[in-house]
Amino acid sequence: MFSKILIANRGEIALRIARTCRELGIRTVIAHSAADKDSLPVAYADESLQVGPAAPRRSYLNSAAIVEAALQAGAQAIHPGYGFLSEDPDFAEICEANGIAFIGPCASLMARLGDKAEARKMAAEAGLPVLPGSPAATRGADEALQAADEVGYPVMIKAAAGGGGRGMAIVRRRQDLPSVYARTQADAQAIFGDPRLYLERYLERTRHLEVQVIGDSFGNTVHLGVRDCSVQRRRQKLIEESPAPGIPAPLAERMGKAAADAARYVGYTGAGTYEFLLDSDHQFYFIEVNCRIQVEHPVTEMVTGLDLVREQILIAAGRPASLTQPDVQIRGVSMECRVNAEDPARDFAPAPGTIAEFAVPGGPFTRIETHGRVGLVVPPYYDSLLAKAVVWAPDRDQAIARMERVLGEFLVRGPGITTTTGFLRQVLANPLFLAGAHTTAMVDQMLDKQATVGQ
Amino acid sequence: MNDSQPDPPAPRPSALDSLCRSALALLDSASRTPSRLRLESDGSSVEIEWPAQEPGRSGTTSQTAAMLPPGGPSEPQPAAGVPAEPAEGQGDAAEFYVHAPTLGTFYRSPEPGSAPFVQVGDLVEAGKQVGIVEVMKLMTPVEADRPGRVAAILVADAAPVEHGQPLIACVSHPQP
Repeated sequence: MFSKILIANRGEIALRIARTCRELGIRTVIAHSAADKDSLPVAYADESLQVGPAAPRRSYLNSAAIVEAALQAGAQAIHPGYGFLSEDPDFAEICEANGIAFIGPCASLMARLGDKAEARKMAAEAGLPVLPGSPAATRGADEALQAADEVGYPVMIKAAAGGGGRGMAIVRRRQDLPSVYARTQADAQAIFGDPRLYLERYLERTRHLEVQVIGDSFGNTVHLGVRDCSVQRRRQKLIEESPAPGIPAPLAERMGKAAADAARYVGYTGAGTYEFLLDSDHQFYFIEVNCRIQVEHPVTEMVTGLDLVREQILIAAGRPASLTQPDVQIRGVSMECRVNAEDPARDFAPAPGTIAEFAVPGGPFTRIETHGRVGLVVPPYYDSLLAKAVVWAPDRDQAIARMERVLGEFLVRGPGITTTTGFLRQVLANPLFLAGAHTTAMVDQMLDKQATVGQ
Repeated sequence: MNDSQPDPPAPRPSALDSLCRSALALLDSASRTPSRLRLESDGSSVEIEWPAQEPGRSGTTSQTAAMLPPGGPSEPQPAAGVPAEPAEGQGDAAEFYVHAPTLGTFYRSPEPGSAPFVQVGDLVEAGKQVGIVEVMKLMTPVEADRPGRVAAILVADAAPVEHGQPLIACVSHPQP
């Protein structure tokens, strides 16, 4: 077992990882930027090393300096959290080359699954349903036009190196394809440094569902229920819950088993997520695999009783996962709201500033993951997630009522600071959401309506 | 903030070691014998004074280098990975520090066995290379950002350093 782990991340996830390490009796060293030197995770960790300045490229994305920090500190493993280097196969390879365990799947598998066109092909081979689309990355707009003609419009053009809801665009008419293709290609190059695109049929009114899986190096692969992440604004998740509302148990079981089989087929180790779209006829289609711990992992933890970060660490240390499929019991309902330092009145623009007042909700079955505190300077360099409010309840109605209470208790004030709690409460009150009948279009429709009313 | 830090800071036996190592490195790098050396373990400070030698300056002037030990795991305050910068302008000479541009290993010379980039007492111009920080065989030059005279080398050759760590203390070059 590891005696010391380096955490290559910041914010709430760095703190969350450090807490599980402490429970496991593992010392932590956090590699941080100059902007985060006074942060809560840095104070909490047993040791800290400043790797670079605020700019992520020179700190949290600086593979060499982070591996060097792990070597300096004598850490045997690196937990990358989510974002930053968490799905960078080159980083995983540098770790391996320096005798440091990367807490995640092996570099070569991560490279294959990180190529979304390749991941789609592998999923189809493993028997997962995929949307009709180009068999691989297209070689230019002409080939894309030909593929789109076969698939039928509308289509979604996606960056092969994409993820996180970025580098994708919908094409509804044939004549629009060349220009949208060119624009998406430029975006893909700018965001991911890789211009390759593939395309799939675009489905209207879908739900975004995902299956959490864990696999160990002994061939034990387990699925841990279905999360619904359909509450999205411009493809960024705002609210997640498990189990998925309105999904019959046999369907959830089929999706879970299909994801676990696909993970087993590629020899997946660690924690991973298979993402799906569900259409109005309850047909599900694979979209991508996330080779990391996800922001919304707590809802799965709350309904299964399993600490997923603990599982990641055990598996990376060569231990078996702590359960097998028959041990998995889904109990009750869990929901998570992402409280972002953003201003809904200004199109959700980041609202960084200094926190002057900070009251964290509490009470029954309430879990708050945050690095926030009075005096925290929310820096403009990183994503705007300030806190995750997670609740558990025996049923969905009670979970919503509990979440409504929790968001009402949240107090975050300070010069420049605005949060999304008010907007999240509007979503909780939306009849579609209350009925569990919402699709990924709901939030954008709410905002369009507000914009129209406002004019 | 400390509420979430249930454990008291672990005993840090290496704090004094670190101070001694820094002091030795300082003395080693000095071309002259210091007039005064002061170590303090708990408050983590080293003070070294050299007698002033410059002609034309008052004989009672001394150059003082106040410093904190290298940062990192053995820091007394885990919240501050990198030591807070000592106040500049103590005494009658304005001090400044050349910091590590990245985390890595600090080298004083261009290559093993060769002469150091700078010695205590050397004059440096803005942009003058005063060391190297190496990360995974990538060499990043360490440069002075303004003119001055090297007062102390704060980190031993080949020692691990953090980003932002003070490496070299300088005293502002008196303007003509």
